Amino acid sequence: MKHFAEWLSTTQPSVFIQQHNGWAIPTIQSIHIVGIAIVMGSVLLIDLRILGWAGMDQSLRQTTRRFGPWLTGSLWLLLATGILMVVGEPVRELVTFSFWLKMALVAIGALVAGIFQSQVRRHEQLWESTLVHRSSIKGLAVLTFLVWACIIVLGRLIAYDHVWGSWSPAARL
Amino acid sequence: MTTSGDPGRRRRGSSVVAFLKWLEATPVASGIRNSLFVFPLLESAHVIGLALVLGTIVVIDLRLLGVASRERSFTRMASDILKWTWAAFLLTAATGVLMFMTNAVVYSNNTAFRVKVVLLVLAGLNTLAFELTAARTVQRWDRAPSAPPIAKAVATLSLVLWIAVIFAGRIIGFTTTRAADPAPADINFEDLLGPSAK
Repeated sequence: MKHFAEWLSTTQPSVFIQQHNGWAIPTIQSIHIVGIAIVMGSVLLIDLRILGWAGMDQSLRQTTRRFGPWLTGSLWLLLATGILMVVGEPVRELVTFSFWLKMALVAIGALVAGIFQSQVRRHEQLWESTLVHRSSIKGLAVLTFLVWACIIVLGRLIAYDHVWGSWSPAARL
Repeated sequence: MTTSGDPGRRRRGSSVVAFLKWLEATPVASGIRNSLFVFPLLESAHVIGLALVLGTIVVIDLRLLGVASRERSFTRMASDILKWTWAAFLLTAATGVLMFMTNAVVYSNNTAFRVKVVLLVLAGLNTLAFELTAARTVQRWDRAPSAPPIAKAVATLSLVLWIAVIFAGRIIGFTTTRAADPAPADINFEDLLGPSAK
């Protein structure tokens, strides 16, 4: 991975971002944070609806129709800006434990979001009348929110990978 | 800060600096500096908080602009959502203050930090402007698909200001170096982090 990261850092797009480091990296990071905000806002409001704590004037289907597309769209924005950050600083991103653990959790979070949205779409009645009231589904809502919060923590820890001690590949360089 | 010849102004300037230095010397600030974990975790909690602040404000602003949630009562949405916005804002502000304390003199002299504070004040005044204008007639447009022009102006300004706050905040990380108390002898931070631990 270190060799791949070093090769990537010599490619044209990477060199371009590195040369415009002063504004390119903070701008990409800021857009990434705006994407994170829309994901967190959407996940929060869907989860609060499942828990029955907000948005009870709307059905579950209305809630997912309102926030689902914003959630999915923001995840694509995060993927795009995330790729740009990896291209711009390959070694800083890829040669860390935090990054790969984050990617594993992103895969889980995105999968849960996708399955949830398609299930609510396909079995609307079942969700409205039964599933949304189950404590297992409410527990899953809380768990999903925590997964996204952990993803944010891991994203920040990419800059502090040494907190993982010997788990950090940077410690072995 | 103390370039003016006015001695009164110089005294005020130096008392601010004294206060900032006192903040840096508090046990809380040095405790954070001494820990490997606490500052990164404060940053993480700050990002979680600000993501929830912006994420929920966007929902309200898009409702005012008539872009999304057009069929919902504005007051119902506001009472459902804004308490979470405030809770998240408290988390963000508290973690922000703690981070500021670790390196108060450097942050207070940083241009991006100063710009961010001004933008936060403007965002607050913008909210106040909404409360003093459109919010007073809310029963007239509560169920309308979009809000009056003044509320739309507030919503647009709110989106611009909060995104600018985030950008300014990110710039702080690139234009300041983190204060750290002496590291354990066996850890070389320069090697681990490279020149840019942002």
